[in-house]
Amino acid sequence: MIEELAFIGQIAVKSSIAVLLATLGEIIAERSGVLNLGVEGMMLTGALAGAAVGVATGNPVAATVAAALAGGLLALVHGFFSISLRVNQVLSGLALTILGLGLTSFLGRPLIGTRPGVRLAPWPIPGLAEIPLIGDIFFRQSVLAYLAYILVPLCWVLLYRTRTGLKIRAAGEDAAAVDAAGINVFRLRYLCTLAGGLGAGLAGAYLSLAYTPGWKESMTGGQGWVAIAMVIFAGWNPLKAVIGAFLFGGLTALQFYFQAIGIELIPAYILRMLPYVLTIAVMVLVNTGGGRRRGASPAALGVAFNREG
Amino acid sequence: MAWRIEKRAAGHGAAPWWTLPASFAMALAVGALIFALLGHNPVAAYGAMARGAVGSFYHFSEVLVRAIPLMLTGLAVALAATMLLWNIGCEGQLVWGGIAAAGVGLFVAPHLPEVLVLPAVILAGAAGGALWALIPAVLKAYLAVNEILSSLLLNYIAIIFMEHLYFGPWRNPEGFGFPGTAQIDEVARLPHWGATRVHLGLGLALVLALLLFGALRRTPWGYRVRVIGHNPQAARYAGFRLRRHVIGVMLLSGALAGLAGMAEVSGIHFRLQQGLAVGYGYDGIIVAWLARLNPLAVPFTALLLGALIVGGEQLQSSLHLPSSISMVLEAVLLFGLLLSEALARYRLVRRASAQPLRRQGEPTPP
Amino acid sequence: MTSSPPAVLELSGITKHFGDITANRAIDWSLNAGRIYALLGENGAGKSTLMSILAGRYQPDAGTIRRQGRTVRFQSPAQALAAGIGMVYQRFMLVAPLSVAENIRLHGAAGRSRSDRQGASIRELAVRYGLAVDPDALVQDLSMGERQRVEILKLLNRRADILIFDEPTAVLTHTEIAGLFEVFQRLRDEGKTIVFITHKLEEVMAVADEIAVMRRGRMVARLAAADVRSQHDLARLMVGREIILNVDKPPAAPGETVLAVSGLSGPAGSSRPGFEEIAFEVRRGEILAIIGVAGNGQEDLAAGLAGLTPLKTGRLTFKGRRWRAPQWGRKPHEGIAYIPADRDRTASVGAIDLVENFMLTQLAVFSRALRLDRRRAAAATAAAVERFAIRGGGLKAPAGNLSGGNLQKLVLARELARHPDLLLAEQPTQGLDVRATEAVWQALLHQRAASAVLLITGDLKEALSLADRIAVIFRGRILDTIAARDSAAIDRIKLLMAGLETG
Repeated sequence: MIEELAFIGQIAVKSSIAVLLATLGEIIAERSGVLNLGVEGMMLTGALAGAAVGVATGNPVAATVAAALAGGLLALVHGFFSISLRVNQVLSGLALTILGLGLTSFLGRPLIGTRPGVRLAPWPIPGLAEIPLIGDIFFRQSVLAYLAYILVPLCWVLLYRTRTGLKIRAAGEDAAAVDAAGINVFRLRYLCTLAGGLGAGLAGAYLSLAYTPGWKESMTGGQGWVAIAMVIFAGWNPLKAVIGAFLFGGLTALQFYFQAIGIELIPAYILRMLPYVLTIAVMVLVNTGGGRRRGASPAALGVAFNREG
Repeated sequence: MAWRIEKRAAGHGAAPWWTLPASFAMALAVGALIFALLGHNPVAAYGAMARGAVGSFYHFSEVLVRAIPLMLTGLAVALAATMLLWNIGCEGQLVWGGIAAAGVGLFVAPHLPEVLVLPAVILAGAAGGALWALIPAVLKAYLAVNEILSSLLLNYIAIIFMEHLYFGPWRNPEGFGFPGTAQIDEVARLPHWGATRVHLGLGLALVLALLLFGALRRTPWGYRVRVIGHNPQAARYAGFRLRRHVIGVMLLSGALAGLAGMAEVSGIHFRLQQGLAVGYGYDGIIVAWLARLNPLAVPFTALLLGALIVGGEQLQSSLHLPSSISMVLEAVLLFGLLLSEALARYRLVRRASAQPLRRQGEPTPP
Repeated sequence: MTSSPPAVLELSGITKHFGDITANRAIDWSLNAGRIYALLGENGAGKSTLMSILAGRYQPDAGTIRRQGRTVRFQSPAQALAAGIGMVYQRFMLVAPLSVAENIRLHGAAGRSRSDRQGASIRELAVRYGLAVDPDALVQDLSMGERQRVEILKLLNRRADILIFDEPTAVLTHTEIAGLFEVFQRLRDEGKTIVFITHKLEEVMAVADEIAVMRRGRMVARLAAADVRSQHDLARLMVGREIILNVDKPPAAPGETVLAVSGLSGPAGSSRPGFEEIAFEVRRGEILAIIGVAGNGQEDLAAGLAGLTPLKTGRLTFKGRRWRAPQWGRKPHEGIAYIPADRDRTASVGAIDLVENFMLTQLAVFSRALRLDRRRAAAATAAAVERFAIRGGGLKAPAGNLSGGNLQKLVLARELARHPDLLLAEQPTQGLDVRATEAVWQALLHQRAASAVLLITGDLKEALSLADRIAVIFRGRILDTIAARDSAAIDRIKLLMAGLETG
């Protein structure tokens, strides 16, 4: 029983890391007022860049950094369009997703079927991994999962305990007021958008280096969109992002578990749908739930700043 | 003498004509860069694409074939977006249109008089898409759930369900393990134009484009939809019922996307199988926005995208480059449109005294 | 003025264009320490643009700014603030969900960063200048007067010594205005320079040391307050012609009661205080004004009466038919025309043309079965454009291109065309220039003959000019209703609006 729980828990955590990383990044971007619907595209690009650099160099650090930077680069495209040109952020984000899908499919063709250059195998943390159950679930993961564990509180501290975080939160609520305070809203939003891209890129790296090493077309399977929904579920709070990601990972793990033990308690196709159904359900929950609007959306989310109003 | 960029005074008005050609040029330029970086001659590549799209009558007819679902999903997105609704769920609605059309074609058609079969298939396609769109519509209207995310996530669910059908209960028992349903009867298929694969769906899409244009411009319903899209607050002031319109418009939008799925099943594949959900739903977003949400322009932008897709496939067969280049070009086309519309907000003005241009990272003119 | 101290700020030849419009034309002005300046002018005279240039929000197209003798060029508000020039905008630049201390910290801590020390320094500044406010309170919970104090504290915390205020009294109660002027005087006595934008003559006379008047982008006069003999002279400078705002008003001839309400409270389903126990009646042939300072519930009351937001409790009788509050607003009421305060975003749609805007509340009139009758709507719009002299690009121009006055006249024409039994007008002349104000007032008075008119306003002059009876609303309750003919009533109304006297 404990063993099964440990197994499911371990896979649940393993399956939630990509969504968690992407959610954290998107929280930073959205907190500053930039809605980036290109997460799916940035994640895919990160995954491909990670896989490609992995094959080319065999160096896990280089592969991870390349993935993050690829995501960041795409995010800057969105930044240019939504912050500088002040175009419709939904459209720009959608275009970014399509661009990511197209580019990775186009450029990733030669990589399909090749042996992955880098595999980030689980790396049990000495000591912690020996804790019963908890150790099995949380501390027998890959290095990128540990990075995600660290980033969660870091993002929270950044947003709520630093002056930079104050600026970010303020920019997402009322850019004109932040501008009047002599803060460069443009630079701030660019940096936050970049952070969002780095997060999505890392999420991609996690998929192509650790979760299922190697490149597969459209390997994100909508996790970028799930991440955007989880930002809403988390109420734009990095700590709560953990819950959403873990719910997603949990359902994914359940699917594997039923497959592994070979019982058709629930039909396989229903299990495959569950993470998406859950994500929709979670958004419904946020809008109807008792804790009405505790984590309300940043007021200036998706609204470009223009000094001339 | 110096030039300066200045904001145009008029805030409301049509964007200039050159934005679409400019976006197209930008897409071509970025594509050329990608070809060149990969060591291919851009001229040769574009040549192959052009020949693939319009090189012969057959090739052009294939462009028309692709344009049919693109028109329908384009209209679906355009209608919803006219009311500020983002229907990103056309792909899933298309799938449900296909499922419903195939279901009626396979299981209901034998019990119907022949003349009623095709109308039943068409209506089923529309209804399938509409009902799937009802989910995000109700969530949006009554629970304020973001329709972008809900409609998009529903795409994955629809596709999984469709796969379940043709891998499982609906799989053709005589299909030798091929994943797909049996073929629908001749009477349940859309009539074709000569020897081409162009089918009646083309006429249907064109008529619907005209109807939608007329409805939006010339009826009280269309007026309300436009006002709600421009300014929901004014619409509420005028007493328009927003929820009812959200539901109605999403139902119609879903029906249009569902018709695209029906057209694919009843006009092209004649069965439910892999290859129904190839992204026409997402392409519809680009078709609609390139057309500036004008239903009359949708057929033209659908043709443009159809040509891009067919050209991309040709590239794959002649130069062995992945056909997904067309997707890259589509995305750049959309970015190009956004860029040129942003640029159209400004104009170059000649001025007497030179003054340093604005700081970097802040393209807003003083 | 005996000695002239050195100028802390000198403008010369400041010119600023927006597109084809010249907002500021060759403006020269110099400011001294320890003085209060009033910058006077009509809407659109270019006052806000000039001040935004001083505060670094805009850059001038020509001209120079000298700060203590040195030429400066501000590329951003931050640079202006670093040079000691800060501005309090009409729309407060505060982040509502953050606390007072966070807002001040956001603005730059002038060397201090620990939040507890910050709280202490805020209190210290607050005491010194009489700007009491709790550093831990969220800005969204503060009154307008308190928010303004936070704005001033923000600037003082950054050691600004030139403080610019854009129409600082617009959102304040009369007592808050008095308090603000005291703060002005304390700041002046500490050697700060105060500039405030206004178009209210009595404020200029009350507090300014120096007066500058702008008209159509030019600075037409600079004078010491001591030299001004009458408000009339200032008004003439400001408008360029004698203003007659005394509208000819024949005595009312009230007919039957059109709307009577009692025990009304709302809005339902909202945490806002809204309004409570409202009771009044309006008759055909009279104008009833409900007056109050912004934020005292009259916005909610207007929306509730118009049926846009649900009411909680109470009764309404409209044209003899009785309604219980919760039922009111379920369906649109024939016979009520509503001119909302927000003409740009509520009463009109900027992106569609004048004809289509004219259809907005009359869709049933202009449609036949499934068709819009655009031709008939165009004819009706043309008639309205003619009658109200609406200028701005013709019937096919987008309504967003109209100026505020022309847009308001279009909205007014549309609502009057519905031949309402009750005309509900909310802040109908807010932000309009004198000419448009006159036109709107004439139209409302004219309509009095045919309808009951309910005027909801914050402008005392408007209420006195138009209304036959004036009800004062404060914190959601009507304190008293006063006949407008009573000239002694004015002072009483002012006191009531400030909540200083109960009904």
